[in-house]
Amino acid sequence: MVLGLQQFVERVGDGSGQPRLDADAGEEMMHVQPGVAIVLGGRLPESPGTLYISTKRVVWLSDADRAKGYAVDFLSVSLHAVSRDPEAYPLPCIYTQIESEAAEDEESEGSDSECGQYLELSKVTEMRLVPSDPSQLDTLFDIFCQCAELNPEPREEGEEENSWFFGDEGMADDGSDSEWQPSENLVNPIGYANGNHDLARQVLELQINDQRFEDAEEVEHESQGGRQ
Amino acid sequence: MLFFSYFKELVGKEVTVELKNDIAIRGILHSVDQYLNIKLENSRVVDQDKYPHLLSVRNCFIRGSVVRYVQLPPDGVDIDILHDATRREARGG
Repeated sequence: MVLGLQQFVERVGDGSGQPRLDADAGEEMMHVQPGVAIVLGGRLPESPGTLYISTKRVVWLSDADRAKGYAVDFLSVSLHAVSRDPEAYPLPCIYTQIESEAAEDEESEGSDSECGQYLELSKVTEMRLVPSDPSQLDTLFDIFCQCAELNPEPREEGEEENSWFFGDEGMADDGSDSEWQPSENLVNPIGYANGNHDLARQVLELQINDQRFEDAEEVEHESQGGRQ
Repeated sequence: MLFFSYFKELVGKEVTVELKNDIAIRGILHSVDQYLNIKLENSRVVDQDKYPHLLSVRNCFIRGSVVRYVQLPPDGVDIDILHDATRREARGG
């Protein structure tokens, strides 16, 4: 798949003028609309022509010049809309935006496309399709929607829905924000002398009767609340 | 499927979709699909002086893969519910 607008001149040899589709890859024709002019960027409309919408791309072929045609994959069509506002464009049409490789340079899109005969297709970011029969616009819009839905971003093989990693994976999870519960089987539990029982006994046997070592009186303050 | 479920709740509300090419389009959310393709009604470009070609289109379809942000209406967001839902989603729940 290539991003952006492309030249397309491959027609079926039977003289019908239909574009050659990639049947091996499952590409099928969805809709044919004769009498459609195409407007690339800020250029003048090109006509007469026929619009072919396949399951994979939009193809426009000139009726007059068999060597002229354009195609764009649905993967490259960022948005499409029915344009009826005469201030946006004098004729009712399907307006589309095309994502292309060379799309960073937005300002050049209008000027370069209009430079005489030479048309830099990779810089075309807007395309209008003007049917001679404006009542077909809603149908064309719906077909564009259907085909866009048929062409989601390709996912790589084996990529899971949730391939994200989070630091707390593997922790005991009961679904709530529970506190970390220490295991009962700590190697060196606090309060034990780590095997040095003589030391422990010596501490226990120590007796101090000095008043200064008595527990202080409990002062009123927030206690732990028995969370151990 | 978190965002799909979430955006379904916003159908009928006004949102502003900012595309990766910097264009922002405001409209009523008509529908959304699993690929987060978005259909807007009564859509108009936010910065009309900058992008006159797309002044106002009644309906538009925006490919999910070109969306950068979806700006939500302030009354369309319940922070606590969203917070819980994203946490559950992250844990595969």
